[in-house]
Amino acid sequence: MTTLRISGVAASYDGRPVLHGLDLVVPSGTTSAILGASGCGKTTLLRVVAGFQPADEGIVQLGDRTVAGPGVWVAPEKRGIGYVAQEGNLFPHLSVGANVSYGLPRHARRAGERVGELLELVGLSPDLAARRPDQLSGGQQQRVALARALARRPTVVLLDEPFSSLDAGLRSSTREAVAQALAHEDVTVVLVTHDQAEALSFADQVAIMHDGRFSQVGAPSEVYSTPADRHAAAFLGDAVFLRGTADVGEGPDGADGAVVNTALGRLVVHQPAPAGTVDVLIRPEQILLRDMAPGIPCAEVLSTTYFGHDALVALRLQADHTVVTARVNGSDVPHTGSIVGLSVVGEARAFEHQG
Amino acid sequence: MIRRRTALLALATTATLALTACGGGGSLEAGKSLDPDKLTIYSAQHENLTQAWAKKFQEDTGVKVQIRYGSDSSMGAQIVQEGAKSPADVFLTENSPAMTTVQNAGLLAKVDEATIAQVGKDYAPSTHEWVGIAARSTVLVYNPSKITEAELPKSIMDLQDPKWKGKWGAAAGGADFQAIVSAILETQGEAKTATWLKGLKDGAQIYQNNIAVMKAVNAGQVPVGIMYHYYWYRDQALSKVGSKNTKLLYFRHQDPGAFVSISGGAVLKSSKQGANAQKFLAYVTSKAGQNVLATSDAKEYAVGNGVPSDKALEPLDTLEAPDVDPFKLNGPKVIELMTAAGIL
Amino acid sequence: MTSRRGRSNPTPVTVVTASLVVAAVCVLPLLVVAVKAFDIGWGPAWDLLWRPRVGELLRNTASLVVLTVSLTTGLGIAAAWLVERTSLPGAKFWRVLMVCPLAVPAFVNSYAWVTVRPDLQGLGGAVLVTTLSYFPFVFLPVAAVLRGLDQSLEDSARSLGLGPWRSFFRAVLPQLRPAALGGMLLVSLHLLSEFGVLAMLRFPTFTTAILEQFQVAFSNSAGSLLAVVLIALCLGLLTAELLLRGTIRHARLGRGAARRALPARLGLWTAPALIGMGALTVLALGVPLGSLVYWFRAGSGGLTESAFDPAELVTTLWGTLRLALIAGVVTVVAAFPVAWLIARRRTWLSVLVERATYVASSLPGVVIALALVTLSVRYARPVYQTSVVLVAAYAILFIPRAMVSIRAAMAHAPEELTEAARALGDGPFRAFVRVLVPLTAPGALAGFAMVFIATSTELTATLLLAPTGTQTLATAFWSASESIDYAGAAPYAAALVLVSAPLTYLLLRRPDEEPAL
Repeated sequence: MTTLRISGVAASYDGRPVLHGLDLVVPSGTTSAILGASGCGKTTLLRVVAGFQPADEGIVQLGDRTVAGPGVWVAPEKRGIGYVAQEGNLFPHLSVGANVSYGLPRHARRAGERVGELLELVGLSPDLAARRPDQLSGGQQQRVALARALARRPTVVLLDEPFSSLDAGLRSSTREAVAQALAHEDVTVVLVTHDQAEALSFADQVAIMHDGRFSQVGAPSEVYSTPADRHAAAFLGDAVFLRGTADVGEGPDGADGAVVNTALGRLVVHQPAPAGTVDVLIRPEQILLRDMAPGIPCAEVLSTTYFGHDALVALRLQADHTVVTARVNGSDVPHTGSIVGLSVVGEARAFEHQG
Repeated sequence: MIRRRTALLALATTATLALTACGGGGSLEAGKSLDPDKLTIYSAQHENLTQAWAKKFQEDTGVKVQIRYGSDSSMGAQIVQEGAKSPADVFLTENSPAMTTVQNAGLLAKVDEATIAQVGKDYAPSTHEWVGIAARSTVLVYNPSKITEAELPKSIMDLQDPKWKGKWGAAAGGADFQAIVSAILETQGEAKTATWLKGLKDGAQIYQNNIAVMKAVNAGQVPVGIMYHYYWYRDQALSKVGSKNTKLLYFRHQDPGAFVSISGGAVLKSSKQGANAQKFLAYVTSKAGQNVLATSDAKEYAVGNGVPSDKALEPLDTLEAPDVDPFKLNGPKVIELMTAAGIL
Repeated sequence: MTSRRGRSNPTPVTVVTASLVVAAVCVLPLLVVAVKAFDIGWGPAWDLLWRPRVGELLRNTASLVVLTVSLTTGLGIAAAWLVERTSLPGAKFWRVLMVCPLAVPAFVNSYAWVTVRPDLQGLGGAVLVTTLSYFPFVFLPVAAVLRGLDQSLEDSARSLGLGPWRSFFRAVLPQLRPAALGGMLLVSLHLLSEFGVLAMLRFPTFTTAILEQFQVAFSNSAGSLLAVVLIALCLGLLTAELLLRGTIRHARLGRGAARRALPARLGLWTAPALIGMGALTVLALGVPLGSLVYWFRAGSGGLTESAFDPAELVTTLWGTLRLALIAGVVTVVAAFPVAWLIARRRTWLSVLVERATYVASSLPGVVIALALVTLSVRYARPVYQTSVVLVAAYAILFIPRAMVSIRAAMAHAPEELTEAARALGDGPFRAFVRVLVPLTAPGALAGFAMVFIATSTELTATLLLAPTGTQTLATAFWSASESIDYAGAAPYAAALVLVSAPLTYLLLRRPDEEPAL
C-alpha cells in the first residue's frame, strides 16, 4: 500500500507558474478529490504526479520512493501509476481486449490473461473484448480505460475528470462502477474534478484548489459545512451571503455562542468567528419557508425555479430588500408574489466583511 | 482497423524495399560515387558515337568504361570546377572552345606522341594537350518550297540584315552554336560579332538544338536555319523524317559560316588511370576508331591519317573553310558577348 | 531542452534536433545560391542583374503567370461550381475527370499539343498548355469548399433581398477566397518552376534561362543570379498570398450541423454546361491521350528514328521507381519530426521550421539542383554525382507533400494516447512504435505515395543531378523529345502517365483535406 505525498510542489503551464507550493498527503488506500474550477491548475498537478510534466520545485513521493524532486525525475512508465484521462484515451487501433492488456508483459498479452477478469471488475461483459473502442459508449470507454490502468496493478490511480464528458445519467452509473472497482482493488486514488457533488460523494478527503493553491483540505462534510473562505463556500454549493453584525449572547433557539444580527434575524455562527461587521454564509436549504407570524422575518416570493425533487425560490426580504435564495421541497412551491415567513436552521458561517 | 493495418504493412514493405534498393547493385547505388576502377569518360559527343567507341574499346582491351554525358561548355566548366579532384579520366568534346577552356586551366595531360601522329597535323594544338577526334562543318539548311536558291544568303553575316527577321532558325543557346560564334569572333572581330549577335537576337527563331532547327525548316515553320552538317546526313541515311523537304547550302569562300569545327579528346592530368585513358584516345584516333566514325551513322568527318570519311559527305577539302585557328577559339569571350546580347 | 509551451511537456531533444537539421538542409540551397551569385563581386553582379535579358525574362515570366493564373482561376471556379453546386448530370464523373489532368505531367501535355499543332509556341502556346495542365490546382480546393459550404448563408443573403446571382457573388464567392488563393499560389509556383513546357514551346522564362546557363557554363554566377531573382519572385508570391489571405477565417459561426446546399437547377443551361465541361475534358485529357495513341501507332509504323528498345524502357522504369522509392522513404522519415513538432508544439520555432521547409520546396527544382551541384562539387565530394544528392534534392522539393499528410494523421494520434502508453509502462521509443507509428501509418503512406509520384515525374533537378549512367522516365522522355523524336518519346510519356495516375485517386480520396502539391 502506498501513501502519496506531495510537498511544496510548484509548476508552470505555458510558461507561467500555475502551482504555488502545494502540500497534500493521500493516505494509503484512501481516495482524495482535488476540486477546482477549470484552469486552477488541478490537472497540471495530476500530470506532475504522473510524470508527464516536470515540477519546478517540490517533491512527489509514492510510499517511500521519491519520484520527483530536486535532481530526481522518474519516467512515467517507471512510476507504477494508473492514469485515466478525461476522454479515456483508448487506443483506436486496438481492440478493447488489446487495450486492457496493453501494459502487460508480452506473454501475458498473448495469453489474453486477466482481460475478462478486469472487464468484469469494472462491470463490463468480457464479450466486449473483441470490440473496437469506437463501438462502445462513452461510459463503457471510461470503464475500459480504468480496467486498462488497473491491469498493471498500480498502487496509485490518478483520475483526471474521468466522468465529465459523460451524460448525466451515465455519469452516476459509471462513477458507481468505478468506485466499486477501485474499492475492490484497494488502491490509493486521486480524482481531479470540477464537480463538487462528485468530489463530495466520491472521496474520503476533498482538497479545494484555487489559483494554484489549496484553500482547504478536509473531509467532505467538513469542507461543505465549514468552508475556509468565501471562495470555497461558493464553490462547494449554492450560497447566500448576508451582511450582519457580530454579537454575543443567546441565539434564537436558546443556545449560547457567537451570534450575528442579520435581516434574517439572529443567527448562530460557527466559532471562531470575526467581530464587528461580517458577511454571513447560509446554504439555501438552511432557509425554511413558514407561515407569516409576528416577529419573524418575512419576504416576497420573486420567482421560483423548479427542478422536480426540489425548487429554488428567490425572495426579497422585507426588512432591507436583500434578495436571498431558499431551497424548498419540490412538492411545496410557493406562488410568485406571495408573502412568506422565514427561519434559519443550523449554524451559519461568518467571514470578515468585504467592501 | 483493416485499413490501418494494411497501411502499416505497406509502409513496412516500402521501407524494406527502399533499404534493399539502397544496398542492391546497379548504377543507382546511393552513397556510391562513380566506380573508381572504371575508366570515366566525360563526353559531350553524341551518345551513339561515344557508346560505339566505348563498346569496341572495352571489347578489345577489357578496360571497363563508364560515360557521363553533357554539353561542351557545361562539361568544360564542370571539369574546371572539379579541378584536381575531377572524377573524369577522359574528356571528349564536340567543338574546340570548351577544350581550350580546360587546357587553359592547366588540367590536361600531354597526349601520347604516337596518338598525335595518327591524325593530320592540323588536328592537334601545338601544346599536344589534346587531339582532334572528328570534324564537322557549319551549313545552312533550307526548305526549297519556302525559299528559292537565288534568295539564299551568300554569307552567314547576311543573316543579321532586317530582311531576314523571323526567317532563320538557330540553336543559339546550345554549345554547338558557340563554336560558330567563336569563328565569327576570330574572323570578324568583336564589334562586328556583337552587331551580328544583335541581329540574331532580334531576327532569329531560337530552337532548343540543331535537330529542332532542321525539323522546323523541314516543316516549313522557318525557311532557313544554321546548323552542323551531320544531323542532316544522319537523318537522310535513316528515316528522312526530319529532312526530306530540305537541302543544304555550304557557304564556302572562307566565309565564317563555312567554319569547320574540330571535336577533341583529352586526358585529364588528375586521372589515376592515365595509361588506360591514353589507350582510349589512341584507339579513337586509330584507323579502327576512325572507321567506326566513318562507317557509322555519325556522319562526322574522320580526321585520322588515311581514313576516308563517309562518301555521302561533301569532301572536307572542298569546303573552303575560313582560316581560323581552332586551338585559339575563345569560349568565355563568346559567352560574354552572347550574354551581353541577351541571348543567354 | 525543455519547452514549457503548449502542453508543457518536455519536447524530446531528438525531435527538435532532427527538425532543425531538416530545416537547415532545406534552407541551405538558398544560401548557397545567393553566395555563389555574388562571389563575382557586387559590381559585376549588378551589371548581370540589370541587363535587358533579365527584363525580358521578367516580362515573359510575369505575363505567363498573370494570364495562366487568371485563366486557371476562372476555369477552376466555374468547373467546381458546376460540379458541386448545380444539377449538372454526372457530377461525380465530372469531378474525377477534372482532377485527371494532374496525372499528365505538364511537359508530356506540351509534347501532345505540339503533336496536334506543330506551330504552337511562345506565350500563347505556353498559356494554353499550362492552363490545361494546372487548372485542377484551383478546382480541387474550391470544389472542397463549395461542397462543405453551408446553404444557410446563401439563404440569408437571399432573405436580405439579394438575387441569386448577387447572393452568389456576395455570399459565396468571398468564402472561396482562401481556397482560390491557395490554388492560385500553387499554379504560380508551378509556373515559376516550369521548364519542360516552356523549353518545348520556346518561351524563355527564368527557369529555362537558368538551365541554359547551366548548359553553357555549369554552375556560374550568371545562372545563380537568375536563380536569386527567381527566389525573390517565389518569396514575393508567398508573401502576397499570406497578405491577401490575411487573418480572415470563414468558419461557420454558431452550432449545429451545416446544411448541405440544394443544387442550383441549370435548366436550359444544362446542354451548354455539359458541352463546356466536355470541351475542357477533351482539351486537357483527350489531346494528351490521343497524341500518345497517335505516336504509338506512328512508332510501330516505323516513323521513329531510333528503334525502340523495350529492355531499355524496363531498365529505366525500374531505375526510376527505385529512386522514387528511396526518395519517398527518406522524405517521409525527414517529414516526421517536423510534422510532429508542428502538430504537437506550435511555437515560433516550430512554425519557423515548418516555413523553412515550405519556402525551399516552393523553389523551382532547377534552383535547388544548382545549389546542390555547387555545394557538392566544392564541399561534399564523396557524394558528388551520386544519387545521395539527387535524393536530397527530391526530399527538399517534396517534403511538404509528406508533411501535410503526416500532420493530418497526427490528429488521429493525440499526445494523450502516447501519454497513456507511457503510464502503461512503455518507454518513449516503445510508445512511438506501438502507438504513433500504427496510427499515423495511413497518413505516412499517403505522403509517401505523393512523394513517390512527384519524384518519378521530376525533370529539371534530375537533369542536373542524375548520377553518371542514370536516366529516369522523365529524362529519357526529355532526351527523345528534345531531338524531336516524338515516337521514341511516346513509351516514356505513357509510362509517366501510368505512374502518375494514382495521384488522381489520392487527391479525391479525402476531398476535404487540402493537399500539398
